Amino acid sequence: MMDYSKTLRNNNKIYSRSSSQKQNQQYSSDFSLRFVFAGNERYDIGKRHLSIYPDSFLILNRGTQYSTDTDSDIPVQSFSISFDQQFLKDFKDCWTTADSRLVGRGGYKVKQLQEFDETIYPFTGDIRHNVYHLKHYLDNGMHDELLINEYLHHCLINYFSIYNEEIFKKAEKLHFLNPSTKIEILRRLNLAKEYLYSNYNQNISLEDLAEHSCLSVNHLLRTFKQAFNLTPHQFLIQLRLKRAQLLLKSTAYPINEVVNLIGFECPSSFIRLFKTHYKITPLKYRQTA
Amino acid sequence: MKLKYIPVFAEDADAQISFYTQKLGFNPISNMFFAEGEEYTVLKADNLDVALVVGGNAFKSCIILNTDDCLKDYHLYKTAGVFFSTVPRYLPTGLAAEFLDPSGNRFILLEERNYTEI
Repeated sequence: MMDYSKTLRNNNKIYSRSSSQKQNQQYSSDFSLRFVFAGNERYDIGKRHLSIYPDSFLILNRGTQYSTDTDSDIPVQSFSISFDQQFLKDFKDCWTTADSRLVGRGGYKVKQLQEFDETIYPFTGDIRHNVYHLKHYLDNGMHDELLINEYLHHCLINYFSIYNEEIFKKAEKLHFLNPSTKIEILRRLNLAKEYLYSNYNQNISLEDLAEHSCLSVNHLLRTFKQAFNLTPHQFLIQLRLKRAQLLLKSTAYPINEVVNLIGFECPSSFIRLFKTHYKITPLKYRQTA
Repeated sequence: MKLKYIPVFAEDADAQISFYTQKLGFNPISNMFFAEGEEYTVLKADNLDVALVVGGNAFKSCIILNTDDCLKDYHLYKTAGVFFSTVPRYLPTGLAAEFLDPSGNRFILLEERNYTEI
C-alpha cells in the first residue's frame, strides 16, 4: 500500500494512508472529504463517534476538531481530500450560477451555505467512481496538477449533488410547513442515521437512538420514515446486509464470523434475510463476487 | 460477422487524418477500397478493435469512444489541442464529453458506469 500526502499549488491537499495506529492527536480540519477503502476509521468529534466504512464517507467543515482511531482488525486504508477555501469559493460561485438544477428546491441555495451538515454520507455512484479514479491515478505516481484538480472539481460537483439529494430533497419530504424546521429535523435525523452507520453491529435501542438525535421516540419514528422511506430498524437491517456483502467480497472470514461482525445473533436468520433481499445465498454470493 | 470499419465524413482528408493522428492517437495503417472508385485511409488506435476510415463518400457520423476514465482522457485530449463542445457531464449511463472533428463529425467520449454495485 502506498502512503502519500500531496499539497497542490492551489493548496488543495490529498492524503492516502494505510495504518491501524491509534492517533491521539487532536486535529483541526480544512473543509474535507474522508474515505476509507478498507477497514474502518472512527472520527471522534466532541461527544460524537463517527465510524466510516468503505460504503460511506464523512465531511468535515473547516475548523472542526477531531481525533481518529479504528475499531477493526482489518488494516485501515484511508484517503482524504482537503479543499482550499478559495478553490471551494470559486467552485460555489461558478457552480450555482452555471447550473440552476443544483439549487435545492424550496428556495434553499447551496451558495448561501457556510457550513455543511457534518455527517456520514453514502459513498456510491459518481463520487465513488471519481475518487477511485483519482486514487488509482495517484497510486501510480502520476501528478499532473491540472488533471488532479479536474478530479477534485468533479468530487465537489458530486458532493454538492449528494448534498442536494440527502439534505434538501429529504428535508422536503418532511411534513412541516416551515423550511427551517424541516432542515433542523433532518439534521437531527442525520444524527440518528450516523449513529446507525457507526454502531451498526451493536444492539441499538430506539431509546438510545432517540436520545442521540434529540428527538422523542415517537417523533423519531414518524419523521425517519417520512424522510428515508424506511423505519430505523429497516435501515439498520439493510445497512448490515450491505456490509455483510462487503465482508463476504473482501475478506475470507467464515460466514459465522461475518454474522457476528455485522451484529446478527443468529446465522440462520441472517442467511434467510440475505436470501430474501438479494435472491442469492451468502455463500453463493461470495463465490460469484 | 464483425464490425471493423467506421467511415467518417471528411471535407479535407489530409486535415482530418492529421487531426486523428496528432490529437486522438490514431495511426494510418493502409489505404483500402470499400466501393468501386472509393479509396479510404484506414486509421487504427492501439486499444480499439474498430478502425476509422477516411475518404470516399462517407456521411457525417457520430462516434462514441469508450474510455474507462473520462476525466483523464478528456484532459489528455484537451492538452493535445482538442476543443470540446461540452465539459464532462453526468448521464444515467455514466460520464460523457463531446467534441467535433474538423469536418463536423461528432465524437462522444464516454465512460460507462455501473451504478448498481453497492
